[in-house]
Amino acid sequence: MKPPKFRYHAPSSLDEALDLLATYGDDAVVLSGGQSLIPMLNLRLARPAEVVDIARIDGLGYVEAGECSVSVGALVTHRKMETDPEVARLLPMAREAAGLIGFRAIRNRGTVGGSVAHADPSAEWPAVLLALDGSVEMRSSSGVRQVDASDFFKSVFTTARRPDEIVSSVRFGSRFAGNWGFSEFQRRTGDFAVVVAAVACADSSDRSGETRVALAGVADRPVRCAEAEAALADASDPRAAAEAARDAFDPAGDAHGSTAYRKQLVYAQVLRAATQALTRRAGRRPDG
Amino acid sequence: MSAPEPRLFGARVPRVEDDRLLKGQGRFVADLDFAGSLYAKFVRSDESSSDIFDFDVGKALACEKVRAVFTGDDFAGAEIRCVSAYEGFQTSSQPILATDRTRFAGEAVAMVVAEDEYAAEDAAEDVFFSVLPLEPVAGLDDALGDGREPVHAGWTGHAFVRRSMATGGFERVAGSAAHRVTIELRNARHGAIPMEGRACVARYDRGSGLFELWTTTQIPHLIRAGLADALGVAESRIRVISPDVGGGFGVKAQLYPEEVACCLAARELDRPVKWVEDRREHFFASHHSREHRHQVTGYFDDDGVLTALEADIAVDMGAYSVFPWTSTMDCGMAMGILPGPYRVQEYSVTGTAYCTNKAPYGAYRGVARPAACFSIERLIDRIAKHRGIDRAEVRRRNLIGPGDYPWHSPSGLVYDSGSLPESLDKVLEASGYDRLLADQALARAEGRLFGIGLAVFTEQTAHTTREFQQRGVPIVFGYETAKVRLDATGTAVVSASIHDHGQGLETTLAQIAADRLGLRLEDIRVEYGDTDQVAYGAGTFASRSAVLAGGAVVKAADAVGDTLRQVAAHRLEASPADIVIGQNRLSVSGSPGAFIETAELCRLVYQRPESLPRGVEPILEASRTYDADPGTGVYTNAAHLASVEVDPLTGKTIVLSYAIVEDCGPMINPTIVEGQIFGGVAQGIGTALFEEFVYDDEARLLTSTFSDYLIPTMTDIPDFAVDHLETPSPHTIGGLKGMGEGGAIAPGAAIASAIEDALSPVGDAVVAELPLTPERVLALLNRAQQQGDQR
Amino acid sequence: MEVNGRAVTTEVDGRMLLSDFLRGVIGLTGTHVGCEHGYCGSCTVLIDGASARSCLMLAAQANGSMVSTVEGLADGEQLSIVQQAFKSCHGLQCGFCTPGLLMAVSEMAAETASSPSRDLIREQLAGNLCRCTGYHQIVDAVEQALGSTSRGPR
Repeated sequence: MKPPKFRYHAPSSLDEALDLLATYGDDAVVLSGGQSLIPMLNLRLARPAEVVDIARIDGLGYVEAGECSVSVGALVTHRKMETDPEVARLLPMAREAAGLIGFRAIRNRGTVGGSVAHADPSAEWPAVLLALDGSVEMRSSSGVRQVDASDFFKSVFTTARRPDEIVSSVRFGSRFAGNWGFSEFQRRTGDFAVVVAAVACADSSDRSGETRVALAGVADRPVRCAEAEAALADASDPRAAAEAARDAFDPAGDAHGSTAYRKQLVYAQVLRAATQALTRRAGRRPDG
Repeated sequence: MSAPEPRLFGARVPRVEDDRLLKGQGRFVADLDFAGSLYAKFVRSDESSSDIFDFDVGKALACEKVRAVFTGDDFAGAEIRCVSAYEGFQTSSQPILATDRTRFAGEAVAMVVAEDEYAAEDAAEDVFFSVLPLEPVAGLDDALGDGREPVHAGWTGHAFVRRSMATGGFERVAGSAAHRVTIELRNARHGAIPMEGRACVARYDRGSGLFELWTTTQIPHLIRAGLADALGVAESRIRVISPDVGGGFGVKAQLYPEEVACCLAARELDRPVKWVEDRREHFFASHHSREHRHQVTGYFDDDGVLTALEADIAVDMGAYSVFPWTSTMDCGMAMGILPGPYRVQEYSVTGTAYCTNKAPYGAYRGVARPAACFSIERLIDRIAKHRGIDRAEVRRRNLIGPGDYPWHSPSGLVYDSGSLPESLDKVLEASGYDRLLADQALARAEGRLFGIGLAVFTEQTAHTTREFQQRGVPIVFGYETAKVRLDATGTAVVSASIHDHGQGLETTLAQIAADRLGLRLEDIRVEYGDTDQVAYGAGTFASRSAVLAGGAVVKAADAVGDTLRQVAAHRLEASPADIVIGQNRLSVSGSPGAFIETAELCRLVYQRPESLPRGVEPILEASRTYDADPGTGVYTNAAHLASVEVDPLTGKTIVLSYAIVEDCGPMINPTIVEGQIFGGVAQGIGTALFEEFVYDDEARLLTSTFSDYLIPTMTDIPDFAVDHLETPSPHTIGGLKGMGEGGAIAPGAAIASAIEDALSPVGDAVVAELPLTPERVLALLNRAQQQGDQR
Repeated sequence: MEVNGRAVTTEVDGRMLLSDFLRGVIGLTGTHVGCEHGYCGSCTVLIDGASARSCLMLAAQANGSMVSTVEGLADGEQLSIVQQAFKSCHGLQCGFCTPGLLMAVSEMAAETASSPSRDLIREQLAGNLCRCTGYHQIVDAVEQALGSTSRGPR
């Protein structure tokens, strides 16, 4: 279990990195924390000719609060998201999710940008991003663009990112403040999530009644569940939301669970996340 | 003559091996770096059963840094065969590299040898061959049916062997029993999975014709014996060394084809050849264990007393019979121990070891006893339920009592001693049973699923010659050997045929030797794992090393002590019988002033031979063997109690508490004993809740990483409560009993019992399959719900 | 990079894993490799004080960093407080996972002000698998090393 041959590049500036990607296109992969890429290299599930290590690029490690969003530089680690006071204040759901990713040593090195670009359909960040109405900023030598989370994730390990682009930052909406719920099912501490539910809703006073229910682990990409959102928005009924979500998806079965079992997990996670969100919206602390 | 007073036996002394391991100074096989080493990578089959042909190694050979590529034909003269003496045994022979047929997914078909591991792995991808997948015997369902060709040519049916036995009164007692229940139980295939995988380095010296194999093994002498067979060379031409080993638990107690292949390649290439298994290979090709299916029927009276027991045992032993155990081990063990700690006297059993296209099956801590314990304990719980008797009470009515020893089990085992009812009562105490019941009442009032489970068992340990003779294995494992040598500075080297890979034997044997020789712990160095150190022995497995090596150390140390006494008596003008050994000196009993320092005496023996009494040779060394009578084992017993909570939404089970009361006789070092128990229980919790090799319908392994094959993490294991009883064996030196495996035996049974209890307010669902994954528990909960609705 | 306070300068293949570099190139075999896919934690080292899987890092990624391995913990013959606690509490058996655990605990020791609960210790160290000990005595050792006074049931 050793990585296959590749050429290693360690650009010191973003421009240099973008030039490399422009040159090598599909033959290159971007290495940030490496906590997803290197296991794939070791298992030889990835065979890039060129590896572009962006960790030495300055200026991608910021957490920056805007008016109703928080921008997170691509190289911000899960650990920083777990411990940063601004994140805790403005994005408590993100803080919660960060702490559930892998193990401490993984969180020390793994990055938000890397995880989003990797687009594992059961990972935490994509679901959180979707729930918090986030977007992804990408740069290439020809410019910058911002893509909504709902358009960014295309399929398993597949995103709207072009080969010449780098995910430079992600932006999480912070307007849902404290009205959130997050629940994921892991077999053991640190395991990949089987099913993740992330729920955010607007304040009761907000007439929009906006409610977002995002799920990971149920399809080839993170998805929102309109049926569950409607059940929550209309009746504030977590159980109805959970049932709606369970009925909305037919996740593929594998060694970690059959389709029927995964549907039950969807029910459980949505029920828990939705209950948390409504409890918080009511100004109370959820159990547990 | 008085024996030296034990000073270290029973003491919780810190381990002598810890410093080097804590500082990163341990020496594991993967750490070895011999000059000129080459590195091997094995190409493995993706298919289970397939024809393979048209090998093309040209591209691989042309790769940078590649020195050789071997395929099956290159090693065709060598094979691993292990034939049981049981009547009707159908045998297999395992090629070192598959030649024209693969028989399990992960079987090695080619070996690439290169200047470094990276280059070897690159070139391994360039070995090409054609594959024609065949219909496999994908598991027990296929093996029990008759639609598939046997795995090996010339076989009749799919069984390595089938055996039956019944007591004379079985039919009569079973036929007249007031009640009976039958359950079918399944234990998933899983394995030992030590944190260090396998590894070996082979060297061959052309001048002397000597093979030297450094390998991660628990059984160096047996590996030497197996290699001698496979290589066709004399044992005197093979040295097997097993240095620090990162856990074994049984999976490193078999000879593997890679060990033979590295020896052959080293001879061919005249360079050291090193192979370090990667984790995926470990999952695919290191031996698996535990896959049992039992159908068990209990016959009992109104009081819940079990009067007869009937069992049909099937074990999926995979593709090949393994050396040195054969493929009969698990089945035989299960047949023997199934009646367990209970007084049942009538027994009828059939056991079949099946051959399938899965990875070969070897030893894993507990060998068949976890499945046997699961079966009998689940049965006892069923009887309790049937009769409406408390689970602890039904056990009390059936357990072998203190007055029953020696107990002749209906399968022919003789239990030497034990404390079963006492251990049961004590575990209720140690677990805070009353508090647990109060917690449970509270939880149930809140609608939570909180359960308590119990399991009691006997652990056959330190079984020796007679037992292994009966098992029909080609090499009968009996005695172990120890050599004790005092040097001229008054310190000792103890060499042993057992191996220590975490069990603390380096310390416990030193404790024993220090006591017998009257020295301090730091005066003793224990060495093991090198066939050049002692003549012969079987190694470390089957909860036997402390008993057998401990006994051998006592005998060897005492033999050396006799010489010391003779010389000291001569020196001090006393009778040898009056010489007392202790505190680094030899003194005359009753004359505190008359003594000689041990170091001084040792110096005299070696360096002043003229001062020795007539007839005493200038050597302080003795080798002794110890083969514990009567040979069928000495019996440790224990009771385990678990409490769990089940998440009704996901089926996930949390183990809240776990208590153990164990009686392994006198303990040499209780801290080490507890460590062995805790480690075993954690593995047993893996058996109960997590671990499973999942194969698809074509017998391809689906769980080949640590994200698919789940071993318990720190948050999956609770704090333990432990207490001890110490009933000495009447048979062994020091009354010692083995205990290395015990912890792993009962958790499956105890946790299943707890989960069944947790679900019981909802309804009755028989918990009979391990592991209890969340999905399975949820299915049980649904079943309980349906049953409850019908009530 | 600097390894245990010693500067190391050498050219390596871009694909070489840090674990292989430490063990094979500079001979620090105390860091053990148990899975090479980031799950077992045996290969845990500290990179600039933060725990990392050395099997999930290229050696080149550690360029310019301070790498700490198990070999740097003891002061000559003198075991560190964490090592001593593992010895006193029988927190190791075969010793294969131990170096990774010691590094993970060292990270905790450097940042934990108050005595952590046993639950928190378990949570923090869940990424270090041990197959021998059943963890109880490891938790004992960490409690002792980090100055906790409360004891689990025995």
